[in-house]
Amino acid sequence: MLRAALIGAGEIALQHLACLQALPTVTLAGVCDRSRGLAESAAERFGASAWFTDHRAMLDEIRPDVVHITTPPPSHFQLAMDALEAGAHVIVEKPATTARESLSVLLRSAADKQRVLIEDYNYLFNAPVQRIVSLAQSGDLGDIVHVEVFLCLELDESRPPAGHARVLRDRSMPGGAIGDFLPHLASLAHCFAGPHRAVRSHWSKRSVSSSWPWDEFRAAVAAERGTAMLALSLHAQPDAFWLRVHGTRMRVSAELYDRSLVVDRLGDGPRPIATVCNRLRQARDLRRTALRGFYTKLTDGRGIYDGLWSLLTRTYAALQSGTAPPISLRQIAEVNDLVAALTAEECRF
Amino acid sequence: MSILNVLVTGAAGFLGQHVARALTRRGHQVRALIRSGTEVQVVGQAPWTEIYRADLRTDSVGPAFDGVDGLVHVAARVTGSYSAQMADTVLGSERLLEAMAGSATRTLVLASSLSVYDWTAVDGTLTEESPLERDLYRRDVYAIAKTWQERVVRRLSREHSFDLTVLRCGFVWGPGREYLAALGQRLGRWHLVFGPATRLPLTYVENCADCFAEVVDNRRAAGETFNVVDGHDATAWRYLGEYLRRTGSSVRRVPVPYGVALAGARLADWINERCWRGRARLPGLLIPRRFQSRFKPVRVSAHKLRDVLEWRPPFDLAQSLQRTYEALEPHTALPNRRVEVHNV
Repeated sequence: MLRAALIGAGEIALQHLACLQALPTVTLAGVCDRSRGLAESAAERFGASAWFTDHRAMLDEIRPDVVHITTPPPSHFQLAMDALEAGAHVIVEKPATTARESLSVLLRSAADKQRVLIEDYNYLFNAPVQRIVSLAQSGDLGDIVHVEVFLCLELDESRPPAGHARVLRDRSMPGGAIGDFLPHLASLAHCFAGPHRAVRSHWSKRSVSSSWPWDEFRAAVAAERGTAMLALSLHAQPDAFWLRVHGTRMRVSAELYDRSLVVDRLGDGPRPIATVCNRLRQARDLRRTALRGFYTKLTDGRGIYDGLWSLLTRTYAALQSGTAPPISLRQIAEVNDLVAALTAEECRF
Repeated sequence: MSILNVLVTGAAGFLGQHVARALTRRGHQVRALIRSGTEVQVVGQAPWTEIYRADLRTDSVGPAFDGVDGLVHVAARVTGSYSAQMADTVLGSERLLEAMAGSATRTLVLASSLSVYDWTAVDGTLTEESPLERDLYRRDVYAIAKTWQERVVRRLSREHSFDLTVLRCGFVWGPGREYLAALGQRLGRWHLVFGPATRLPLTYVENCADCFAEVVDNRRAAGETFNVVDGHDATAWRYLGEYLRRTGSSVRRVPVPYGVALAGARLADWINERCWRGRARLPGLLIPRRFQSRFKPVRVSAHKLRDVLEWRPPFDLAQSLQRTYEALEPHTALPNRRVEVHNV
């Protein structure tokens, strides 16, 4: 049995705790939050053995094998360093740190101590994304030419947790509210296009009354295996998270919130016939996706976080078997290099 | 009766505004603590003399307690996700009382809810001695957050020797909040009424606010817990009928026996357990424990309020309905004043 502990009993912590509760080979040894009420209620709800308001006391007392860090971003670095120092593997919410230099220190520490460090790129592990990964690996997709990632999100003041919202507003994190989501966009682009070579980005504020430093973001990325366009809008509605991967043999579009997947492939036979067949196949895929999505929503409490559950399940399996974790330190470094390049452009405005 | 300086949280909210008015009518000075960014009346017949704008979850509200004799804590979040309600209602209360511990204020009235009780364990009459919810995480988010708020406030009150009074309010209704979750479920042109003869645990908002003011004034309230309901004979069928008639709605009421509806919820729950190991996200109506907390035909006793405080609601049901639907002026004018505003 691996002993897990969690620091920060806010919004995303509920998904981590629910998943830990469901994993048969993990015991939840402790929950820590600066609020006694939140720590105790989370411990009671998810069956943790103990609750704490001081993370160092928790690390000393229960000596966890794995520590989940789900606090607001500025605290991630120190908490992760303390957890590594205590000999634990670390699963940290994105962004792992708010400065690239701190991330290097963290990665070095994890490598030196031979501990696993995971930054939460949960969308990489959503079912449609994993399907595209397998199409790419099998060669069905052909060579990857271009990747598009577009996140549309209504983010009003009340949506992020209080401490988190303040961070997103006051620019203590590069990119503010948009910067908070960049690791998701960057990890998807990196997964298919590889490490970046050059970046151009455009940050803007469409609404003067918006409390966020920026509310629109676009970027063009030249990468090792192809190019990518990243976009994030806090105005375009309805909420959606599109991933489109263009290969030399196939184009695949996924909507990560409703987990739909549509494949557009080179067909056999005359082009008009192949096009009609393609469209009919896509209509069938969409119908199946809609029905499957409704059924899943009704019967599965994980919602859009199925990727997080999958990531955590794989991480714990890797820890128990001693195999490679689902996210490598190198991958974290490269994704954060891209995030740093994207946010470096922010300063020019 | 001495004039007190009272800090009221959530003073811009539905109940909080009326509590501030009730205290002002009794001659007390009200300092309002409201959420950052909330716009409120700062001139004219305002029910407060000072306003502090703050986010209870993150701001330090110590200065709001300067010179305050008592706190009436009404602020809570009634909608939103689990974490949003827990942060606003539980973390907010924790930080508020920690700030109070550093002040000279020692008297506290908490607005709690009847939702903290275990309605499945009550047959007949629910009193202040009835058991609290034992299967909390099968309940809705509001019940979980209010239960934890009470736990946190009681613990901090013990630790800092606060004189705590807890008022567990029934369904608070009035102008602007005429429709209640206890009325059933609307389906297009039809409205299902589960248990039409059930007497609703209602408290008209001006009655409820007057009860808060009475507790501030009455020393016998310290250390006690009271259920706050008006005790009027308002069944779900009658209340909904008044609501539909007075709002000119053409929706038709459909009576559904409570037992039949509960059997439906139990069947859905059984199917969920059998087919999906309880993971299906069913609406609250199909979760038996939640269904019972909303619709169970239980009489809620307000005897303790009458016996200990000798308090009775100032408005009967007919007057409450008239005041709600005819938007009558408050029965006592408030003084004209300019309000001092502090942004924390």
